Amino acid sequence: MKKKIGKALVVGAGISGIRAALDLAEFGYGVTLVDKSPHIGGVLSQLDYQFPTDRCGMCKMLPMVDRDTSSQYCLRKGLFHENIDIRLSTELISVEGEPGNFQVSLRRKPNPVDPSRCNGCGECVKVCPVEVPDAFNAGLSMRKAIYLPVPHAIPNTYMIDTNVCSRCGECETVCPSGAINLLEEARKDFRILVVDDELIMRDSLRAWLADEGFSVDMAASGPEALEHLAKQAFELMLVDIKMPGMDGVELLQRAKENFPDLGVIMMTAYATVETAIEAMKIGAIDYLLKPFDPDTLIPMIMRIYQDLESKKEPPMEVGALVLCGGTSYFDPAGGKNTYGYGIYPNVVTSLEFERILSGTGPNQGRLVRLSDGKPLRKVAWFQCVGSRDIQIDVDYCSSVCCMYAIKEALVAKERAGGALETAIFYMDMRTFGKSFQRYRDRAETEHGVRFEKGRVHSVLYDENSGDLIIRHVDSSGTDIEEIFDMVVLSVGQRPALGTTALAEMVEIPLNQWGFGQTEPFSLTRTNQEGIVLGGSFSGLKDISESVIQASAAALSASRIIHAAGGGLRPEMTSAKPYPDISGEPPRILIIVCTCRGLLSKLLDVQQLVRCLKTDPAVDQVKFLEQTCTVTGWETLVELVEKHTPNRILIGSCLPYVYARKIRELGQRTGLNPALIEAVDLMLGVRSSVLKPEAPSPDEISTINGELSAILGAGLARLKWADPNPAPSQKIVQQALVVGGGIAGMSSALAIADHGFQVDLIEQEEILGGNLNWIQRTLEGSTTKAILEETLSKVEKHPLIQVHTSSRVRTSHGQVGRFYTTIEDKENNIFALEHGVTILATGGVEADTTSYNYGTSKAIVTQKELEKKIHDHSIDPSRLGSIVMIQCVDSRQEPRNYCSRICCSTALKHALYFKEKNPEIEVYILYRDMMTYGFTESYYTQARKSDVIFIRYDVDEKPLVAPMNGSVRVTAFEPIIGQTIRIDADLVVLATGIVPILSKDLAESFGATLDRNGFFEEAESKWRPVDSLKEGIFACGLAHSPRNITESIATAEAAAQRALRILSYERMPAGKVVAEVRHSLCSLCERCVEACPYGARVVDPELEKVLVNAAMCQGCGTCATVCPNSASILAGFLDQQMFGAIDSALEGTA
Amino acid sequence: MWRKRTVKTARLNVKDGDLLTTLRDFFRSILRLEDISAILVPQHLPAKNVVMPTLVTDPEQLNGTDPLAPVFPLNGAKIVSRLTRKPMGAKVAAVLRPCEIRAFVELVKLNQGRVEEVVLIGVDCLGAFKNSDYIRIVGKKEEKFTSRFYKDALSGKKLTIEGFDLAPACKACENPVPNGADILIGLFGVDTDNQLLIQARTPKGEMLYDKLDLSDTEEPPERARAVEFLVAERTACRDKMFVETTAATNSLEKLNTYFAECVNCYNCRVACPVCYCKECVFVTDVFNHEPVQYLRWANRKGVIKMPTDTVFYHMTRIAHMSTSCVGCGQCSNACPNDIPVMELFRTVSYHTQKAFEYEAGRSIEENIPLSVFREDELSEVVGIGKAHG
Repeated sequence: MKKKIGKALVVGAGISGIRAALDLAEFGYGVTLVDKSPHIGGVLSQLDYQFPTDRCGMCKMLPMVDRDTSSQYCLRKGLFHENIDIRLSTELISVEGEPGNFQVSLRRKPNPVDPSRCNGCGECVKVCPVEVPDAFNAGLSMRKAIYLPVPHAIPNTYMIDTNVCSRCGECETVCPSGAINLLEEARKDFRILVVDDELIMRDSLRAWLADEGFSVDMAASGPEALEHLAKQAFELMLVDIKMPGMDGVELLQRAKENFPDLGVIMMTAYATVETAIEAMKIGAIDYLLKPFDPDTLIPMIMRIYQDLESKKEPPMEVGALVLCGGTSYFDPAGGKNTYGYGIYPNVVTSLEFERILSGTGPNQGRLVRLSDGKPLRKVAWFQCVGSRDIQIDVDYCSSVCCMYAIKEALVAKERAGGALETAIFYMDMRTFGKSFQRYRDRAETEHGVRFEKGRVHSVLYDENSGDLIIRHVDSSGTDIEEIFDMVVLSVGQRPALGTTALAEMVEIPLNQWGFGQTEPFSLTRTNQEGIVLGGSFSGLKDISESVIQASAAALSASRIIHAAGGGLRPEMTSAKPYPDISGEPPRILIIVCTCRGLLSKLLDVQQLVRCLKTDPAVDQVKFLEQTCTVTGWETLVELVEKHTPNRILIGSCLPYVYARKIRELGQRTGLNPALIEAVDLMLGVRSSVLKPEAPSPDEISTINGELSAILGAGLARLKWADPNPAPSQKIVQQALVVGGGIAGMSSALAIADHGFQVDLIEQEEILGGNLNWIQRTLEGSTTKAILEETLSKVEKHPLIQVHTSSRVRTSHGQVGRFYTTIEDKENNIFALEHGVTILATGGVEADTTSYNYGTSKAIVTQKELEKKIHDHSIDPSRLGSIVMIQCVDSRQEPRNYCSRICCSTALKHALYFKEKNPEIEVYILYRDMMTYGFTESYYTQARKSDVIFIRYDVDEKPLVAPMNGSVRVTAFEPIIGQTIRIDADLVVLATGIVPILSKDLAESFGATLDRNGFFEEAESKWRPVDSLKEGIFACGLAHSPRNITESIATAEAAAQRALRILSYERMPAGKVVAEVRHSLCSLCERCVEACPYGARVVDPELEKVLVNAAMCQGCGTCATVCPNSASILAGFLDQQMFGAIDSALEGTA
Repeated sequence: MWRKRTVKTARLNVKDGDLLTTLRDFFRSILRLEDISAILVPQHLPAKNVVMPTLVTDPEQLNGTDPLAPVFPLNGAKIVSRLTRKPMGAKVAAVLRPCEIRAFVELVKLNQGRVEEVVLIGVDCLGAFKNSDYIRIVGKKEEKFTSRFYKDALSGKKLTIEGFDLAPACKACENPVPNGADILIGLFGVDTDNQLLIQARTPKGEMLYDKLDLSDTEEPPERARAVEFLVAERTACRDKMFVETTAATNSLEKLNTYFAECVNCYNCRVACPVCYCKECVFVTDVFNHEPVQYLRWANRKGVIKMPTDTVFYHMTRIAHMSTSCVGCGQCSNACPNDIPVMELFRTVSYHTQKAFEYEAGRSIEENIPLSVFREDELSEVVGIGKAHG
């Protein structure tokens, strides 16, 4: 087993938290992943579809290397990873210590349902009398007090919302597996002393607390209380302040002297609140204001109980913390609420609309109004609800709403089979991501989504029809009144609840809008070393950006852990090899769990045994009461030791939770876990029995059939199971980074800092790339410091070998071993061997011939302007007017993408000119201002500084004509509806970014380019810096247009993804891996073409198709295209499949 | 897709109305070319009265050549695949029927053959009898039988001889013209008493054509009409066959009846030119069931037919090969129990190939359907593709 050195705590198990946890776990660290809510996945558990595929795909984040350490199924359903300890309903309550060595305490909200026993049958829900709105469906439907937090989780165990549970006990009675225990046994050991001089007070307190299962003693005075304390240990004392003789405060003081760990709550009347507060200063935890009722008392006691209980556990030691607390959403019901949210039934938020679209939503995905069941025919989306609104002090863009609105419109249209009219009312469509512009264009041109520029002021409600009436002005300036079935408010993001408290606890700063503040040029590092941020906690990100940032955060955390001596994954200690049983005929022990005897009542046991024993491979069939309990499991182990089978089949429920147990069973009994299999018997029972207490003979026979079918399928798999693991692949633990700009340097440093050799190739004479000319950022940071700091670290690093004036000639190989030839300045050619490759080849400002560029010195590009400002060849005091034109040749074919940095560059320069010379007229001609995130505030600032923004249409571009020294710009100004002429001293063109990643270079490594020449990701959202071919990563401008900080984040993410491979000496293959039976292979190579992971090659010398077992992901496509099963997938042999099918058919026959 | 080229066409004079002699001379002239090392051509074997493919390097050994004999005991694509699977360092010409060329095109796409070293010479196909029928009716007549046959066929006479008719596959074949050949030898719509047509249909064919010292001419206009007429006739026959076969197989029960005589000899798969597996999965350990399994199957129903897996075998072969089926009919030819295998294969293939807008053997550039991913295909089946309708 692997020894895990170094631990990290990831707070928040949304998409970012999962990514960061997986990255750290895959690197070999132990990770504790906590989330306040009872499920993982954050908001994504509620979202079924994501653009640009309009489907999910979250599972693509699961480990691909050494993937058997992790679950390999729908990630929205759940996650298991050997190195990740997931704690749900859990909060971080304190952090002590220093980077590399923090002590953290966690508080877990109790759940009266024991998840290891709950088999998800749902009997409890039927009897629960309490109904409350279901948060999962955004409150659009109801749920019981005992409920499934998400409908699709695996294992899907119930939990009780203790805040609303009436403790009637009905569920406890009906639970067939005895999983519910409303009165936690542990609470009996929690002794509370109630001290009050009033008997009635003492009695009612005792009754309330005893109801919750606590042990309660009473004392009528201070001295009596002290006597109790001396006799017996108490955890908590409730003390009335005003008592005759010794008052509460004195009692507190004296009790604390002798029992410093005793928790004390003061009870006080209004008049003595100040005394109570004073009491807290001398050690009371809290106070209760009399008179109070159980609703006030119990939650406080519970919180304190949990805190004191958690403190009993020693604090956990972790090297670093990754905070991925996510965001919450703007509630449009507050404020002026001109859209009538919460008042008009058919005005919903975007999150509510996602639930309406969902098959597990309140309408099961049917597109009808909840209020009256009317099918949706016409829906409007309003953008920027709670974003970009200075009136409510939200001077930022939420970055994600434009794209999710388009997605929702498209998914809704698809669902409606086209019979749905959609309109999106927007201020700027912020399509700044890689493929977003084309997605938006297709939505408009191919699918007919209507885009209406402008903010709608208010909504009117027609009470008779339930329809919504809005007024807006169309592009021609005409007032239009339109009726919609539904209005969806694209609500912006807000800091997550509890962000402030968390930030205060760990002492990190928040920005002016309450989001986590990171250091300059880093998206993840805070001013507290060892505490890093991931995802939207630091503001407003879509999935792909969150995933990139989470990987970068994992890297920052890993660096701290590593620097503190956390070390890397040590070699696997060689476990004793399992005995070879390949020559033995199968001798299978079948163990059937009867679920506390339930099954025995529903079965003809003898008949089942007879049926199973017709297979000569079956040696024994044994029945056990409960394999999920410790006792049950030990009995199972004894049976195995007694009968010494060479294969074991376990029939129980929830087979996926057995993965870990099976490995342990293998170790204890010396049987290879590959020869142990668990199947889900409950699947067969649940569907066929109506009354478990009195099954009819027909039902019994059906159940026998079902169970023998399920067990038979397991038998078929087990009989043919091959215990020999696929070969592991040796890794050259070195990296090659191509490109020495800020991204390339950052990734090289990140890898080298973890102790691996890196070769850094740069074709120019010096490192630094674009930072050699970019002077400062919009936010005002100068680039000089970061460039110099990085350069000096790179140059001094003993593990980084820099090759300037060098270029890659060719490369071949696969993950773990690439051979690359490099040509240096003197035309020497040398070869490098490396296990991973990072492409950081960068990008440049695009050339242009548009707008008469090149015909006048007064027409320059943004890059030229930056240089001229720096070398002072432009004097702001001598300029009268400047026109900046955005989107030059961009966001239109063939370069139909947003370069993302041009709008902020324009703002940066515009604000510079306005600062130097407020008299300069600055005009920015734009299509959509892409000031996403907090950049929005600079857009506001520019408008306040009288920079004039004129929107132009792509079909009606401005005209630029040089004329004696100045340049005449003619443009249509849509607000005044007239064509205007500006005679400018300077025209600045924003031409955008083009990548300089050559197709040949990318392809020689096995990477592909997208249609714009950028690196093509394995998956734009879930694997954003990986190539589909394992071992190749990209960052910086070669990956996509982005600013310096964002580029560095991609570099860190790419490094983290690479480190996950470099950490292995040999890269283990998965259990389910494809093989070739060469004697049957006709070399048609269809499997080679079909393999999506490039894991197959034809060896021309051997005349064989070879499989790289580490790259193979066990998808089985090769086995599917192979007509004669020459290509096979371990665990899915034809014999196993046929056996399973036969069993299923026999069971029903 | 495939480019339309201007086709170089020449006339070859036929002496004494004897097509076979003319063809043999033509093949000799090809074999004498410097860069053609051998020619693969069907020939009457001297020892016995059958026509088999022969690989000839000596021009004097072409005397028994008979590409017009109404028989092809096996589909020559398999032979060409053997010759071209790996580089042999020399160029070979292969005289083939249209269905053989089309099968070879499929095999090339399946990486079982290469076109680089072969020049495909296709002859307008007049059809063939079933192997066993041919042997019965040809007697010792050999060449006389061939010339009677092609004269009857080209003059549109009925081809029933001694009660034997052309093989069903040939009667339903709508591809009598070898469009995929490098060099085409045309008979339809040509005055075959006096001349043959030679066409270069590919750049490779043109290179060979240019060396043969032929006189250019135009394709006679009658040819297109003759081909069109023949194809229409065959298509009608084919469609009738589809209807009858569908009716005979449209339930599991009928399908079982259809294959009732199958003995799992797997001759059909051996005879099939496009079944390219080194070893069929049905003869591997996958179908070597455990003895107890047979008993279980029998137990379930009380009775099972032995051998088992017969319909399964045919369905699997259809699943694997129907997109590449060229309809040559060798499967039916090979069946010892006269199961109409071809009829079902063609019926299914017609639909699968149509579904993928694919035609087996049409062009080497078209990828085999299941080897390519097209996001928008079969959207009504997969439920995606026509998103956001």
